[in-house]
Amino acid sequence: MATQRFLLGLASLVGLLVAYTWVSNRLSQPEVIPPTQAIAEAFVDLIAGPRQQPAADQPVHMGHHAHSSDHVEVLLQQGVTLQASLAITTARVLFGLVVGAPIGILLGLLMGLSRRVNDYAHPLYVLVRSIPPLALITYIMLWLGHREPHRLIPIVYAVATTMVIPTYHGLRDVASTYVVAGRSLGAKGWLLIQKVLLPAASPAVLTGLRYAVAIAWMTAVGSEMLMAENGMGNLIVGGGMWASRLQTRSDPAVVIVGILALAIAGWVMDVGARVLTIRLTRWAR
Amino acid sequence: MSLVDRTQIKRALVALGAIALLYGIAAEIGRWALPHRIWMDVHYIENVELLPPYRSLGEEMAFLLESWILPSSIAVSTGRVLCGFVLGSAIGILIGLATGRALRLEYLAEPWLMLLRFTPALALLPLYVIWFGYGEASKILLIATNVAVVTLLGAHQGVRAVPQVYLDAATSLGASPRLAFWKVVLPAALPQIFTSLRIALGLAWVTIVVAELIDAKMPSLGYLLTLAGAYPRVPTMLIGIGTIGALVLACDLFALAVYAKATRWMRRTG
Repeated sequence: MATQRFLLGLASLVGLLVAYTWVSNRLSQPEVIPPTQAIAEAFVDLIAGPRQQPAADQPVHMGHHAHSSDHVEVLLQQGVTLQASLAITTARVLFGLVVGAPIGILLGLLMGLSRRVNDYAHPLYVLVRSIPPLALITYIMLWLGHREPHRLIPIVYAVATTMVIPTYHGLRDVASTYVVAGRSLGAKGWLLIQKVLLPAASPAVLTGLRYAVAIAWMTAVGSEMLMAENGMGNLIVGGGMWASRLQTRSDPAVVIVGILALAIAGWVMDVGARVLTIRLTRWAR
Repeated sequence: MSLVDRTQIKRALVALGAIALLYGIAAEIGRWALPHRIWMDVHYIENVELLPPYRSLGEEMAFLLESWILPSSIAVSTGRVLCGFVLGSAIGILIGLATGRALRLEYLAEPWLMLLRFTPALALLPLYVIWFGYGEASKILLIATNVAVVTLLGAHQGVRAVPQVYLDAATSLGASPRLAFWKVVLPAALPQIFTSLRIALGLAWVTIVVAELIDAKMPSLGYLLTLAGAYPRVPTMLIGIGTIGALVLACDLFALAVYAKATRWMRRTG
């Protein structure tokens, strides 16, 4: 079974890759469907970063390197590399998770623990949650200017609003049987919260966290596409400012390299969240 | 499932009222306490109301409604979201059901699904612009992709989560695989599918805000926000944000209602 799974998966990967290479070379329209080698080339160039200026006494290779677009050239001139962009975006995502998750979890805990708090806070939360974080970005900019917090707040906001509901439901739905058991054994107050409610809610919280990781990546890339001058979102749209940058034509090879890098980074972080989940909820199995 | 009781409604109204009142007070204080000139990297912008009072919001709302800017923007953006949602969920659910049923198909699709699943959908936007142009197609397809990935996973996991006992029972009662699919697998997978649809609907609205910045034309809510940010015209901005929020909320409530209706048969008692 496992080998069949692996083989079929591999066959599908290789098959589609070969098919794509054939079609893209056949079409020979690199500005629309970049051939596989152009994607690989863009990848290598973006990893290697800006090339050294040729020394004066050495002959200059004219036309040594011809890109299908200016996109890579512009990025290299700005000193943008794939790994640096990915590091910046990852840092923003992590910041969003580290700051946003505790806020969301705390809110979810308060709402889950106290009926009264929930009655007051839930309607407000539903309103807040309904606003897409990226819709706020222009308004936040007026308050904070074109600076880093302005890109981070939508991510924090997205993570926090995502974490509330799983925490709340973890306490309300999952924990109720444990609460009955805990109460009947005489636990109450802080002891009940600490020993029964929080552990019982943790699987739901961690599931929510995995979802929040995906949301954080999406929001980070979106806010970088719109507002930042670095990070993966900026790499993909290739410089420029604000809305105008989406009018510029990017090189599809760079976009594909960026998407692959983002997908792999997102996957790595998801694996991390999953490992954390298994570690922290070992008691449940 | 407890119905919302009277205390709950009262408390909700108190909370909403308190926030509304607080905003009103903050806006009045803000009128003289907050700066009206803001330094924006390269130039000052003048006459900014960071917290527009209700009066300004009301006037702006009246203008946006009278000039048909807001209604037409809502119609256009909602249309795009719904088109993308219907297209994406149809494709996603079909593929998800297929991969959920056929193991080989799942193995074939797996690597690509992994890739798509962790791709932030907004990153596809530049690619779609190149492939499908600046027009409607790239916006709708971007939403559809986003929706398809989420619903695909929902349908797939929904089918996989159907207990084998159900299938065995159906088979032993003489159901053909086809009948078992329609009468057992699909209904049992429905809650998962609906949950994923609800999430996807929210994501579709997140996507439209950014997608509407390409080929930015009025009327559209995404561009209304950007335009308001460029001037900047804060009341318009806040009305735009509020409108999108209200639409998301309306969609979500609708999805919840459909969910409740469709899964009524499986309601737990007690």
